[in-house]
Amino acid sequence: MSARRPAAAFALAVGLVVVAAGTAGLLLTRHSTPALRPAAAGVAALPAPTGPIVAPPQPSDPRPVARPVSLVIPLIGVNTQLITLGLTAGGALQVPSSTSVAGWFTGSPRPGAIGSAIIVGHIDSISGPGVFWRLSELRAGDEVYVKRADGTLVEFRVTSVQTYLKDRFPTQAVYGPTPDPELRLITCGGAFDYATGHYLSNIVVYATEVK
Amino acid sequence: MKLRAMTRRLLMLLAASALLLGIPAATAAFASATADTGWIRLAHLSPNTPAVDVYLYSFGNSNAQIVLHHVAYGTVSPYESVAAGDYSVAMRAAGASPTSQPVLSTSVTIKAGHAYTVAGMGPESGLRLQVLDDELTTPTGQARVRVIQASLKQQVVTVSFGSTVLASNLKFSDVSSYQTVTPGTETVTVSSAGGNATSTATLLAGTVHTLVVLDGANGLEVVNLEDAAGSGQPPVGGAGTGFGGTASHGPGSPAPWLAVIGAGSLLALAGGLRMRRSGVRQRGRLHAGV
Repeated sequence: MSARRPAAAFALAVGLVVVAAGTAGLLLTRHSTPALRPAAAGVAALPAPTGPIVAPPQPSDPRPVARPVSLVIPLIGVNTQLITLGLTAGGALQVPSSTSVAGWFTGSPRPGAIGSAIIVGHIDSISGPGVFWRLSELRAGDEVYVKRADGTLVEFRVTSVQTYLKDRFPTQAVYGPTPDPELRLITCGGAFDYATGHYLSNIVVYATEVK
Repeated sequence: MKLRAMTRRLLMLLAASALLLGIPAATAAFASATADTGWIRLAHLSPNTPAVDVYLYSFGNSNAQIVLHHVAYGTVSPYESVAAGDYSVAMRAAGASPTSQPVLSTSVTIKAGHAYTVAGMGPESGLRLQVLDDELTTPTGQARVRVIQASLKQQVVTVSFGSTVLASNLKFSDVSSYQTVTPGTETVTVSSAGGNATSTATLLAGTVHTLVVLDGANGLEVVNLEDAAGSGQPPVGGAGTGFGGTASHGPGSPAPWLAVIGAGSLLALAGGLRMRRSGVRQRGRLHAGV
């Protein structure tokens, strides 16, 4: 019977240690890690690309413009090849399988043709920045260049940067027809939902071709 | 003194909560803000009127914002993006002084997000400037198209795209309303009392077009203008373009730690109780032994 006493004391000691460890663990994990923030704008700026910059097409010109091959955004250090993207089986926008390249949605007009051309890229991977990590830093007037398969360049100027909740995505404003050559750059933003593994918002940069 | 300090603290608390409530409201306002610009293009569609210079003035400003020189019959300019507001369009004979009295002028109100065509229409004797509202939407997977009848030689025409009649017996200087058509490449047929003219036009899904019937050097001509273009099949919803590697991490669930604390507490409690009980028993035995 008296052998129970050391066992009980042991249980009490272990219990207290476990409570102390649990309390320490709880307290140590109560802080949150802040979002990784890009360096100040312009730090990784690239020079503007060189090449023949073409004028917008005439509305009655039936010749198609060349397909886009790369995207350069000097201010935020973006210089990426453009892959081609379509729709998923569910009708959503396909996104690049790599987080380090952007893609052009082939269901939208070609950049530099009349209409709203769509280019999409990831803000991040599971471990770090993606190709459009710093997209939200762009402001009205910033330059965006698209290189085309025929070697020509199209120059766009940002007109606005918007953040939309994904469940209130303005399909008409982003994908609807426009009467002049425009560009929409799309990535994720806002709060990240760890339960679903998705950001709750999209960032859309609107740009129009420079004449 | 104490009351004042308390009041100050209360006010700070109120200010802080107002700030917290205000941030989402301000973000929402930013998100719903739309660009305050519209579009305008200028056209000369009067067959027997010589070339003109076309001026666009912001209302009340005598310096022209846009000047198009030597615009001849059949010319339609690309769209210009301009701030929403009131404007006037003036036409002068090509090469006339910019300060001379215009041959024609009209006012146009440009609404944000809307597009307009201002066209010189009719015969020279009855030349007028007409403001047309241009469409910027299509039903999903469809195309929209209208017809402007600017042929003086054939005053009444019927225009079809494939087997779809776009405008029936359209009179000179009239404009049909937009019609929805199945996208594709089809033959455009213009039939008139003086004979038929055909051409080919491609109308893609998600695009808006205007077909302009003109007097050509040899009979009728059709110009296919692309008014606007978008995605034929717009993607559903937003884009899944991130995996959270740069997002802020929350503190995570406290549940596992609370479970550990709970289990430890139970263990300690059980040990403590047992010790107390056996202690009581031993004391009892000692008492009995005395």
